[in-house]
Amino acid sequence: MKVTIKSWTGVATWRWVANDDNCGICRMAFDGCCPDCKLPGDDCPLVWGQCSHCFHIHCIMKWLNSQQVNHQCPMCRQDWKFKE
Amino acid sequence: MSLKPKRVNFNETWKELQETVKCVITLSNVPRSTWNDRFSDVYSLCVAYPEPLADRLYLETKQFLDNHVKNLLEKVRSNGKANLLKSYYQAWSEYSLGINYLHRLYLYLNQQHIKKQKLSEAEIVYGNLTPDTQEQMEIGELGFEIWKKNMIEPLKENLVNFLLEGIHEDRLGEGNPNTAEIIKGVIQSFVTVEEYKKKENLLLYQKIFETPFLQASGEYYKQEASRLLQVCDVSMYMERVTQRLKEETLRSQKFLHCSSFDKVKEKCEQHMIADHLQFLHGECKPMVQQERKGDLTYMYSLLRSVPQGIPLLINEMLEHIKQQGLQCVTSLKGENIYCQFVESMLTLHKKYKDMINDVFSGDQSFIGALDRACSSVINYRINPKVSSRSPEMLAKYCDFLLKKSAKGMSEAEIDDRLAQSITVFKYIDDKDVFQKFYSRMLAKRLIHQQSQSMDAEEAMINRLKEACGYEFTNKFQRMFNDITVSTDLNNKFSAYLKSETVDLGISFTIYVLQAGAWPLGQTSITPFAVPQELEKSVQMFEKFYHSHFNGRRLTWLHHLCQGELKLGYLKKPYQVTMQTFQMAILLLFEKTDSLNCKEIQDTLQLNTEQFNKHVTSLLESKLLHSSTQDVTPETILKLNLEYSNKRTKFRITAALQRETPQEVEQTLSAVDEDRKLYLQAAIVRIMKSRKMLKHNCLIQEVLSQSKGTFSPSISMIKKCIEALIDKQYIERTPNSADEYSYVA
Repeated sequence: MKVTIKSWTGVATWRWVANDDNCGICRMAFDGCCPDCKLPGDDCPLVWGQCSHCFHIHCIMKWLNSQQVNHQCPMCRQDWKFKE
Repeated sequence: MSLKPKRVNFNETWKELQETVKCVITLSNVPRSTWNDRFSDVYSLCVAYPEPLADRLYLETKQFLDNHVKNLLEKVRSNGKANLLKSYYQAWSEYSLGINYLHRLYLYLNQQHIKKQKLSEAEIVYGNLTPDTQEQMEIGELGFEIWKKNMIEPLKENLVNFLLEGIHEDRLGEGNPNTAEIIKGVIQSFVTVEEYKKKENLLLYQKIFETPFLQASGEYYKQEASRLLQVCDVSMYMERVTQRLKEETLRSQKFLHCSSFDKVKEKCEQHMIADHLQFLHGECKPMVQQERKGDLTYMYSLLRSVPQGIPLLINEMLEHIKQQGLQCVTSLKGENIYCQFVESMLTLHKKYKDMINDVFSGDQSFIGALDRACSSVINYRINPKVSSRSPEMLAKYCDFLLKKSAKGMSEAEIDDRLAQSITVFKYIDDKDVFQKFYSRMLAKRLIHQQSQSMDAEEAMINRLKEACGYEFTNKFQRMFNDITVSTDLNNKFSAYLKSETVDLGISFTIYVLQAGAWPLGQTSITPFAVPQELEKSVQMFEKFYHSHFNGRRLTWLHHLCQGELKLGYLKKPYQVTMQTFQMAILLLFEKTDSLNCKEIQDTLQLNTEQFNKHVTSLLESKLLHSSTQDVTPETILKLNLEYSNKRTKFRITAALQRETPQEVEQTLSAVDEDRKLYLQAAIVRIMKSRKMLKHNCLIQEVLSQSKGTFSPSISMIKKCIEALIDKQYIERTPNSADEYSYVA
């Protein structure tokens, strides 16, 4: 072997793959964070429902907790189930 | 004895009483038993039967005191004019003490008979009754009243003349220490005789003594000032005046009643400073320019005491600091100009701050002047159209300190310097420019692992946060966090690899960054065919990442990756750190010693710009040889088999990581873009809340909102308004040319 790689440091960026730019509940960008958080990223993640809608986790949890009877997606009114 | 009221022969009793009164008032010996008897006599007279004799007693006592004081006056006068002060003082000392005792002898009369008819304090202070002159006074007060009428009134002019003369002598330093006590005593007597009054009890003192005294002092100091001006230069003058003021304060305490202290001081300052303000002000400029600290200390303390005194000195100081600063800034040159800039600013700031603390006792208005001077020096534009380079230089200075390159300095020293650089930072107007440069440099340091210590990085971010707020450092913080999180991620990844029993064949680490937080230009992204040796790592990591994080897309930034290669084909084994693209090029030489450029580029799929850049860097490092001068597709590249280097471990990435002029340009234009957005957002916010606003008001509001981060030019604001009108966020109101309204 003339040339061998001893070590390699990779650099990559990540962004959310969402069907929209903004969270349907707080209207803040998915690249940003929900109004209660300060730093976007791992501290303020997104979640997807089985209906394929996507929100900040803090936003949807707040919404679900405020609903007394059945838990529905605020966008399409289908029953809210977290996508696995 | 019985306390019962009884008949009393007034004449007899008074005769006896009068004898004792005489003894008391002249401080002669009065045996206790006599005192006791007379005390009860006063009581008996006051409660006498069938009619109380208190009023008569009062009248007789008054008559007696009247005569007594008249006699004293004769005696004082007979001692001759020259001894007037002394004999008055003696008579007064005796009389004032005596009257005190007498007051006690007449305790019953005072307490029971007179107090009852007196007006209460509230009536005197708030009522507008004129006190009845016929009203009876307590014996002590009566005694003082009689003294005032019979002694002070006839003598006052002579007395005051002698007092003024005495004080004048004291000023000239010819005062007799023995007379000091007399002078003070006499002056005090003017206060004491009216002290019992509840209202305006200093009137007598002020009328007969203070007014003429102040006038005389004024005259004296007026002359003194002009005399000094003739014989002294300014330093000497100020020294003398300070000395005089100090002496006069002591003199006031020695002679005067405390209510006069400030008045005397004011008078002196008026004549010795305020009257010659122009002269003093004229001397400020050379004094400041030569930084004569001693003189300035005097000047400050003198000017501070008069209105309108200080501002001129403050201004001179401001101009001087500014001048010094500009001289310093414009003369900088050389390689490490940013170090010189920041350090000379810090020296300047420290020097004058110390001087203000020493000379001007840390006066806030001088600190304010220092701030203004520093800010105008730091934001100085050599060419008014080009923005100042200070933000960039400061960012570079921080970069220099935080990089591994800062050798020969201890950690504490670096930390100290970083802390101080905040001083300069606070003065910078274009904080957003600094932010942009800092974030680029921070990104480079973090990605290329050039930071000296992560603790230092974090500490610096915290300092900036403290100085400029959370918003300002938000992105720095996120960048910093990404690096910390990545360490964690790498650990998890290696655990994952172990559990899957996969061997990547290389030692692999990764930084996963949030796209929004990093100032990574999109320009250098190029298609790239990942070399086989790295492919497995990339694939495994992507698999791992997607299984851990839902809904995230990874983008590899190969132009930022770097690796370490072991070169086995040379005489000595070398370990070289280089970028991924360079690695990829070298890896192609595994089977052959020469390749042409087109082949390489096709295999790697790099765009021409990037390809040329990296080939050139490999040629420059002499690891490769080329067949032609310029790199063209036909150029044949050969491995340099003769390569040798003193060091067996080195990096060839440095040239590529250096800040290029284009990058500076890019950074500045990025700042410009951000500013436009910022201004437009501000305008929309303002207009949304105000609905209608005049042009000038809008400009003012925008300026005040953006003050914290940068100072926009008016023309830039105007352009943003135009842009918003085009975008139909706002419109001109139809009936007025310079008014806008918000379009909902």
